[in-house]
Amino acid sequence: MSTPKSAPSEYETPPNPGLLALARPPDLALERSSAENGQRALLNILEDFAAEKTTLESGQRAMLNILEDYDAEQARMEGAQRAVLNILDDFACEKTQLEAAQGAMVNILGDFSEEKARLQETQRAVLNILDDLREKGNVELVNQQLGKEIEERKRAEEELACRAEELARSNAELQQFAYVASHDLQEPLRMVASFTQLLGQRYKGKLGADADEFIGYAVDGAHRMQVLVNDLLAFSRVGTRDKEFTAADCEKVLQTVLANLQKTLEESSGQVTHDPLPTVRGDETQLLQVLQNLVGNALKFHGAEPPRVHVSAQQIKGEWRFSVRDNGIGIDLQHAERIFLLFQRLHTRAEFPGTGMGLAITKKIVERHGGRIWVESEPGKGSTFYFSLPMKGVTHASGFRASAAG
Amino acid sequence: MQADSEPARPVDILLVEDNPGDVRLIREALHEGKLLNQLSTVPDGQQALAFLRKQGSHAQASRPDLILLDLNLPRKDGREVLAEIKADPDLRSIPVVILTSSHAEEDILKSYNAHANCYVTKPLDLEKFVTVVKSIENFWLSIVKLPSKM
Repeated sequence: MSTPKSAPSEYETPPNPGLLALARPPDLALERSSAENGQRALLNILEDFAAEKTTLESGQRAMLNILEDYDAEQARMEGAQRAVLNILDDFACEKTQLEAAQGAMVNILGDFSEEKARLQETQRAVLNILDDLREKGNVELVNQQLGKEIEERKRAEEELACRAEELARSNAELQQFAYVASHDLQEPLRMVASFTQLLGQRYKGKLGADADEFIGYAVDGAHRMQVLVNDLLAFSRVGTRDKEFTAADCEKVLQTVLANLQKTLEESSGQVTHDPLPTVRGDETQLLQVLQNLVGNALKFHGAEPPRVHVSAQQIKGEWRFSVRDNGIGIDLQHAERIFLLFQRLHTRAEFPGTGMGLAITKKIVERHGGRIWVESEPGKGSTFYFSLPMKGVTHASGFRASAAG
Repeated sequence: MQADSEPARPVDILLVEDNPGDVRLIREALHEGKLLNQLSTVPDGQQALAFLRKQGSHAQASRPDLILLDLNLPRKDGREVLAEIKADPDLRSIPVVILTSSHAEEDILKSYNAHANCYVTKPLDLEKFVTVVKSIENFWLSIVKLPSKM
């Protein structure tokens, strides 16, 4: 903004006195007076004029001053205008800035909503993860429970195994006991039997009839006991002298059985027929014992007719079902279970000899092979003994191997 | 039965048996036999080896032509006695007959693996027992050729 000039009043001063003194003529006559008058008039005029000129000049100066003032004012106006413009500029600038700020704000808001969306997404993800975790937590719980159950089951199994082991041990001990007892019983028994026999041989008829009779009973008792102990030994051997199971051709086994029973067959005029027999997995020696016991019984327990025995085998539901059918005296089925028990007999020795061990041994062998044994019979018409052997075969032998007792 | 080429000299048999009943039965059976024999008996494995090596109270013992050896004996059992006899160059030519009540396959196999000359189980029946002892005597002392006494 321009600054206004000094006040115009300082320029309205009276005409310059030095200039008036210079225009006055020094001495002359009338004329000279008139001329001096005229000169004075002229000088006056000139003085007036000069005064006028001074006034004009001062007017002009005033004018110039006014003009100057105007200029100054204009300058001031312009300055003000410029200031306003500047202010307007500033305002526009401010506005732009505001707009920019607003834009930035909007952007920030946009960013914020984006951020929010992202956050929500993250939150959802976190929630999902939490859910998963919770689920996993559940899974872990379930796992823990399962672990516990497994643990318990393991413990139960261990207990069971422990008991099974104990049972197996006590069973093994029993079998060992039966084996050792029957084996060791044989020794003193052999002495009793041998020396009573020797007594009988050397002193028959020399010690009187009573002595002969007593010796007779002693010899007979010792002999029967020998057979019993021998059978008991055979029975205990089923558990103690097991062999690995192999393929056993039952055709061959039966041929051996028939050869072994040749004497009995001849004595009884018996006949044994058979269907084709399979090869099974088992202990051949024991299977031979089974067939020999059953065929032997079939020949032994015959009626008036000479014995007719038929051996066959059928495949039924994954097992071989063997049958030994006879036309003998038959069995009252109320005894059907008893005959398979140790030392159980249905007849006196006078009717049919035997110890009552045969079927017990047979049953033990069949069961060791994973099978069953049973009988169907009609007294007076005959019996059919059945035994089954699983076709898959039991691969391991139950029981244990006893160390050899001498 | 008398072998043709065998000189009629008494044969010496050493019986290693702890059961006096069996000793008597074997003696009875051998007595029924026709062969002349001198039966010596010892009741355990230690004495059996002492007898064979003429040690201690057996200094006067004569070398047997045949040994009848039970397996289950006190102190030193028959299996050990057999092993020692067959490991001894002076004794291993003497035939050893295992005469036992053991039917165990393990005993049978082990005995033959230890060079037993034969393995016989004592029959339960007296008649069979006598027959078996007579058969052993007959086979080993009249049928079989044995090395001459050293």
